[in-house]
Formats: sequence, structure tokens, C-alpha cells
Amino acid sequence: MAPIRTQSTVERLDRPSTYASSKKRRRNNRDDRDWSPDVEDKLKDATTLYVGNLSFYTTEEQIHELFSKCGEIKRLVMGLDRFQKTPCGFCFVEYYTHQDALDCMKYIGGTKLDERIIRTDLDEGFAEGRQYGRGKSGGQVRDEYRSEYDPGRGGYGRAHDAGIEEDY
Amino acid sequence: MADVDVKQDGGDYKRRGRNNNRKRVYEDDDDDRDHYDRRGPPTQRRRHERSPRHRYEEPPRAKLRRLILNVASSAKLPEDEAAEIAAYLGEKYDEPGLVDDFFQLFIQLIIEQPFRIPVVAAVAFYGNYIKPEMTVDAVQAVAVKAQEALTAGNWRDFKQLLRCLACLQSVFEGEGVFALLRQLFDTVVDLQTANETDVVGIELVKIILLTIPYALVAGGDAFHDQARDLLKDTHIVAENMIPIEGMIAAYAGDTGAKPFEYHSLIGLLQKQLDSEAESGFELACILRFRPEVLRKEDSEEELLSAPPTLAFPAFDIPKPVNPGSKGVFPEAFFSVYANQETETVPNTTEIAGSLIRDVLVDTIDQLDFNREAVAKFLIDIDNYWAVNTFAKRGTAVDKLRENASDKAMWKSEDMLVDAIFSQMLKLPTPEHKLVYYYSIITQACKVAPAAIAPSLGRAIRFVYKNIDVMDVELVYRFLDWFAQHLSNFEFRWRWAEWANDTGLSNLHPKKAFIVAVLDKEIRLSFAKRIRATLPDAYHPLIPTSLDKDVPDFKYDNDQTPFAAEGKLLWQQFRKKEPDEVIQATIDEIHKKAEQFGIEDVLVPSTDAFVTAICRIGSKSLSHALSCVERGKERLMNIANSSDAARRQIVASVVEFWKDQPGVAVNLVDKLLNYTILQPITVVQWALEDHMGAGEALTQGWVYEMVSNTVAKVAKRNYQITESRLQKNLSQQQLEMVENAMMIGRTSSHELFKFIEDAVRGVAEGANEQLMEKQANGSLTEEEVLHLRAWAQRWYTTFERMAQVEKSVIGEEAIETKLKFMAAQPEPESHFEDVGNGMADGDGQV
Repeated sequence: MAPIRTQSTVERLDRPSTYASSKKRRRNNRDDRDWSPDVEDKLKDATTLYVGNLSFYTTEEQIHELFSKCGEIKRLVMGLDRFQKTPCGFCFVEYYTHQDALDCMKYIGGTKLDERIIRTDLDEGFAEGRQYGRGKSGGQVRDEYRSEYDPGRGGYGRAHDAGIEEDY
Repeated sequence: MADVDVKQDGGDYKRRGRNNNRKRVYEDDDDDRDHYDRRGPPTQRRRHERSPRHRYEEPPRAKLRRLILNVASSAKLPEDEAAEIAAYLGEKYDEPGLVDDFFQLFIQLIIEQPFRIPVVAAVAFYGNYIKPEMTVDAVQAVAVKAQEALTAGNWRDFKQLLRCLACLQSVFEGEGVFALLRQLFDTVVDLQTANETDVVGIELVKIILLTIPYALVAGGDAFHDQARDLLKDTHIVAENMIPIEGMIAAYAGDTGAKPFEYHSLIGLLQKQLDSEAESGFELACILRFRPEVLRKEDSEEELLSAPPTLAFPAFDIPKPVNPGSKGVFPEAFFSVYANQETETVPNTTEIAGSLIRDVLVDTIDQLDFNREAVAKFLIDIDNYWAVNTFAKRGTAVDKLRENASDKAMWKSEDMLVDAIFSQMLKLPTPEHKLVYYYSIITQACKVAPAAIAPSLGRAIRFVYKNIDVMDVELVYRFLDWFAQHLSNFEFRWRWAEWANDTGLSNLHPKKAFIVAVLDKEIRLSFAKRIRATLPDAYHPLIPTSLDKDVPDFKYDNDQTPFAAEGKLLWQQFRKKEPDEVIQATIDEIHKKAEQFGIEDVLVPSTDAFVTAICRIGSKSLSHALSCVERGKERLMNIANSSDAARRQIVASVVEFWKDQPGVAVNLVDKLLNYTILQPITVVQWALEDHMGAGEALTQGWVYEMVSNTVAKVAKRNYQITESRLQKNLSQQQLEMVENAMMIGRTSSHELFKFIEDAVRGVAEGANEQLMEKQANGSLTEEEVLHLRAWAQRWYTTFERMAQVEKSVIGEEAIETKLKFMAAQPEPESHFEDVGNGMADGDGQV
């Protein structure tokens, strides 16, 4: 359990990003489903991390090598292109403990893997279906309308269709 | 990051020597607006630019928070800032809620940002002149927290809070903090009398010794005798060496080649303070706070009236002393720069070395939740010590040498790298996960590459130079760090420097290190990429077979025994044929094997089966795991029926992945999780079947496989132990746990015994293959010596692991803990509720 402190003198790097709260807000706006326990509450014991900005070529073994430095990995799910079933630059890493996931946020998020700065975020947990990209052409949305060339992520963006809501 | 985003004038590198303009103390309004402009909400800023009359006034609470969080990080003198905060707080003291908030923050700063303790304490010190109530409240707040930490055995927090009180020594009546230090020492005497290998007493002496200097600087000459008396007493504890200390030295062996003799942290401290005592306790590096800063310009004549003194808060030292939740071990001093030709860090005779190191280490360990802040604070560390303690930031070593005059000016970059290394390479275990220390080094290199990189380079060269005699666990930690560090910086390193060493025997510790680092680099990247970062001399170390997508499947070669059956088995397993079909092929192998006269027919069939699983699973880790799961039942049966066959499981995995041992290590680890393999099987395979003449001991991945296995068993045992220490176990639960503990102890003992026997054989030169290879000349004399030295180092490392584990799960250790628990008063039930409630709150901040 993390030490109990009201507010630290410096920001903590093991907090969930705004993604989680924005997701919560969006869902609340969409319908009045009783969203309980709410997302923040779910993340309280989260053992899963979403990992983003991976190269399409980064393998499970590489991810395992780096992420196991924060604790034993229970499950690793690669993000796949919905149509081609090839890696599309993200994954879910599940640890056995919440503390390992927090440590990963603190010590690994924002460092490099395969020479790219990777992003980690606490996640409420993997569910079947979430391993697929949500972009129109099968990959992640961010790779649809990217205008810069990124050789690690398939070159230029594949399309520029907006209007698809990005879920990672 | 807002809270640490303080004034960065780029030339922050030159805080020293700015003009000492005391006038600014009470002219802070302009400064504040300046601050606010940079941080305030843009809307408010705009408004205030247009109509300066309605200028936004920062709420006192926010202003105080900002001032104290940034104290001593701007161009102002720390004493001016402390006085300024005290004055402002005094002015607003009656605002509701303000004081409570402030002191909460005050305490937090002491604990989370220990480098600021003297400045933070100075606020209370100046407060005594301005509004004595403030000092009373501050002391009270600190004392309450210090007592809590003392009761809980939370030694680091206790040390830091106590330091704050020591910095206020001049406001106390009589002996002040010395009375408490004396009281603490009496406790040490009790502890050591009761148990001569006691370690909590050592921790307490460390705290006493690290408190004295601050108390002397604040209290002045009047307390020198008190300090001398105390030092006379601490001697006996500080210079005593207890058995476990023989195992936490960074450098092993009795070769004269050790770069550093073992020094215990408190042994050094004692010597340093003794020599300070002789020279009149100069303690030059600690910041001073003079009351004169409070005098206003226009009232220069007016003398400050002597402020009131207050009684030192009473402390209750619990009996028995709570050893704390973390295991306490004596600490060894570690440095990669100390006592070298150019004095870039304090020599080990200098008290400054211990004082600054202590603060750096605490900053690192307390703030692990924000490595960006840690890296920044470490780089800024010169701001928090007396002027002229450090050379200008980023001064190159040769410049330092040129400028070396009477007084040494230390290199802050070296000191911070040294501090991080000392924690990363701390035995028996680091405070945090190793990867935390990696991340601060990476971060520091990002923030100040030009200043840090050369220091880091020198540290790496120092470790490499001495790697032959370094503890094996530390070598492994270091290479793991090195590879990951390089992976964050395009794998850039001056490999050419070590190119000659690629010609060494593979059994040489330097060559073995290089091979292991390259393997780790490849694991984080890929072979082709790593090859491209290396001079040609290294290329033979990265075989082209690594460029293939999947390793060779040995049954593709018809010369391999059982090639036909091996291939068939692979196809059948891949097509998920029913078990009977697979069994038929296996029976076929058994039949042939019998004809060949193979003793245990399960060996070749297991080899074929496991190799098939590896082949199908070679696509990715997930594929491998799903194959293992499909074959789990069969694998379990194999493992339960023959010793040779269960070892063959490990052998086949390693053989298939021989060029990428990282994958093999990982798969073996998963097989342990599935309980297909038992820990002892892995160790037996590694240190018997694979041992050879001891060559296995030189391979980084073998150490990794064995130490991972040992760690897995230890972790399990720790968990069981923890459940034993739960309160109110029922009789049935108690029996279950006791039984599990016994089994755990036995299997751990068996594991260590096996390892120690196996490596001792090589160390003593009694290993059969070693003798044979030595006799027939296939190993040179030098290689034999290397192997024996490797084995000796392995022995030390695993013996330590065994001792450490025993200190947690051993009967004696449990007994002590249970006794301590029994002596504690029952907590009232509402306590737990509060704890949970707060923990929930924590998640939502």
C-alpha cells in the first residue's frame, strides 16, 4: 500500500492520466447508466497498464524484458490491427499486484523501449476486444490522421477521417 | 510538476557569489508578482496587467505553500528566504486554518525533501524572534511526528524529523537534543547487551551520529563537550563489526586487487566525527542561519531582543524498540570516486562526504514517486549546502585538478552519481526496485547531459575496471542497468575502449561481462541493431544465427537422432492432434531408444516434445505459453516420473533458445509458475548438468536463472511468514501456516545447500570436470583460476542470500517478531477503519 499522504510536495507520477477521467465523463454524458464503481475507484487497485507509442515491430519478448523489471507479469496482450492481426503499437501489461503497476508508472513510463519513448497509463483491466485498434483502417486512431512520417508506426497516417472516437 | 517548477534562471549554475542584497527580504511583493505572472491563470494575469490597482493578491495559504516549497531554490540567500517566510507567516498567523496547513506542509517537506531540512528549520528559528508561538507550534508538530516514527520503527522519517529539531538546538533550554541523543544511546546499550548481533542499535547509532553535526552547527561551541562525550560512547558500537557485515561488501575475495576495503557506514561516520572533534567541529558544509538577517535596513541600530527558549519535547522510546517493518541491515559505504587521485568527492575521512551522501540518498529514496523531481533536486544539490562546498556545476575533472588549491571543491555531479550507484549497488537489497535507480540516472542525463554524462562515464569505467572482484549479484545488477541505460541513449558507448578485451577467454570476468551486456542489449532491441552500434571486434560475439526470425529446429536435420519422430511430433502437436496420436509417436521414440540402449527413454521423448513446444511457441511468448498450457498435463507427468526427464525439460528449452538465453530464462520461470518444474530441478540442471568445469558460473543468464529461482522461493516464503504474523489466527490456520513455513524452510535450505555444494566444488578445485580439463590442458592455468574465483564469488553471494532469507523466515526471527507483537497493546478497532478510509482518499487525490 502506498504511504498515506494527503498531497505530496511534488506531483506523483503514479496517478492515472486524464484519459480515465475523460472516459468516465464521456460515458456519463452518453447515458445515465449507473457507472459504479466509477473508473477512478476501479483504478484504485488496478494491476493492468495500457502501454502506448510502441513501434509496430516491438515484440512481446522485448516488452516482457523491460516491464518485468517492475514485477512479475501475469499477462501481456499485444494490441493488434483489427484486420491484419499484426501489432499496431500498443499493449496491455498485467501485473500480479497494484504496487507493481504503480511502480511501472513511476519508473518505466516515459522511458524508452526499442528507442521510442513509451507511455503508460493505469487501466481498469483488459477485456476481450480491447486488443484491437479502433481506427477506421484497423490500427489505432492516432495513426489514421498523423501527418508526420513515423517509420516505426507504418509511415504516414493511413487516413484522415475524423469522427471516430479514440479509445487509446 | 508545478510545485517544483521553480525559478530557473539557466544560470542557476551560479547561485554562489550573487550579491548579497539583504534589502530584498521585505521587498518581496514585486518578486511575488513576478512569480505569479508565470504561474497564475492567464485570465487573472491579463486582468491584472490592465488595471494594476486591482491586482490579484495571492491567497496567503497558496503564497506560503509556494514560498516554502521553493525555499533555497532561487537566487536569494536561503537565510533571507527563511526569514521572509517566517515574517510572512507571522503576519498571517491568525488566519483560520492557515497554521495547520502550513505545519502539515512543513512536516511533509522534512520527510519528502530532506535536503531542505536546515532551511525549513530556519523558518521556525526566525519565527522565534518574530512570533515565538510559531516556533512552539513547529516544534510541537515535528515532535509529534517524530514520536510516531520512533514508535513505528520508521527510522528514516525519525532521523529526518530529529534533524529538524537538531537544527533548532539554539532555541531549546539546557541540553536540547543532546538529552534525547543520550537517551537513544542508552537504548542502544540495552539492545546490544540483550543481543550482540543486534542491528537496530546500529541504525540508532547512525541516527545519533548524523544528528550531532546539525545540532552543533545550530547550538554552537557550548555543546562541543556534549558531542565529544557522546562520541566516546558510540565508539564501541560504531567500530564493532557483526558477522553479517562480512557478507555485504561490494568486493569479494582476499585478493589485494580490491579497489576499496570494506567500511561500514557508521564506522566511517565515527572516524570522521572524531577527527572533526579534534579540529573543533568546523562542519563547514552545513548551511548557517544568522539572526542578524532579521534586522531591517532602516533600523540597523536596533538590537534584536533575545527570543524565548523552550523546553525540548519529551520522547518516549518504546520498549522493546520496534525494529520497523523493513528488515534493518548494517550498511556498507560504497563509492566509485572516493579516495582517488583527484578529489572530486570528499575523501572518506571527511564528514561532508557522509552528510551530503545521507541527504542525497534520503532524497532518492523518499521521492521515488517522481523521478523527474528527484533528478532535478539532485542536480540542484549544491544550492542546499554552504557556499564553496562544491565547484561550479559541470566543472571538468582536469579543470578541478588545475584549480585544486588549499580547499577541495567537490563535483556535485560525481556526488549524485555516487549516491545513486551506492543505492543501486547496495547489499543485501536496495530500498526500491532497481529500475527506479535506472530511471533517475536516465532522467539526470536528460536534464543535464553535458554535466552528468562525463561523471557517469567515469563511474562505468571504474566499475568495469574492478568487475573481476565485484560481488556477483552486483555485477549482474550493474550489467542489467548498463544495458537498459544504453537502450535509452541510442546504445551509445565508447566500445572501442574495451575492444581489446574481446580477445580474452570467455571465462575472464571482463569478457563475460561484455557478452552478458550485449545479450541484454539484444533482448531490449534486436541483434542487427546492436551489431551496428559496435566496432568490428565485437561482431563475432553476435552470431548471425540471431538474425533469423526463429531458431533452428534440430529435427529438421536428418542427422539428429529421432529426427523423423521429432518432426512428426511437432506436426501433430501443431495440428492439435488427440493425445493418443501424440502418445503413439512418443511410444515410438521409447521403442527406438530402448534399442539404442538409452537408459531413460523418457529423456529423448521429452526432448522431442519440449523442443516441439518451443518450435511452435517461437512465434511469440504468448504462443509459447499457450503451447505450454496445452502440453501441461503431459509435462507434469514427465516431471513427476523421472529426474533425468524433468531436467531434460530445462535442457531442451535452453538448447532451443541457446542464442537467445533471455527467452529460455523467461520460459523456465513460467514453467516454475505452472509448477511443471520445481525450483530444485532448475538449480540442479544449471549447476550440475550444465556446470561443466564451472563455465556455467561465468554466464550471466545462468546467474539470472538461478537467482530468479531462489528469489521466487524466497518470495513465497516471505508471504507465508507474513501470514504467520497476522493477528488472531485460529488454531487450524496456525497449524497450516506453521506447516507451510516448515516446508518452505526445508526447500529453501535444500536449494541453498545444493548451490553452495556445487560452487564449492569448483572453488576448491575439486570439481571432476575441472580437474580433468586442467589435467588434459583444455583449460589453461589462468582459466582454472578464473573459474575458481568465479565459484568463490558465487559462494559468497548465495551464502548471503541464504543468511538474509534466514533473517526473515528463520525460527529465531519469527520468534522475535511474535514476541514483539505480543508486547504491543491491542489497537482499538476504529484504528483500522481510519486507515482504510484514508487509503481510499489517497487514491483520489
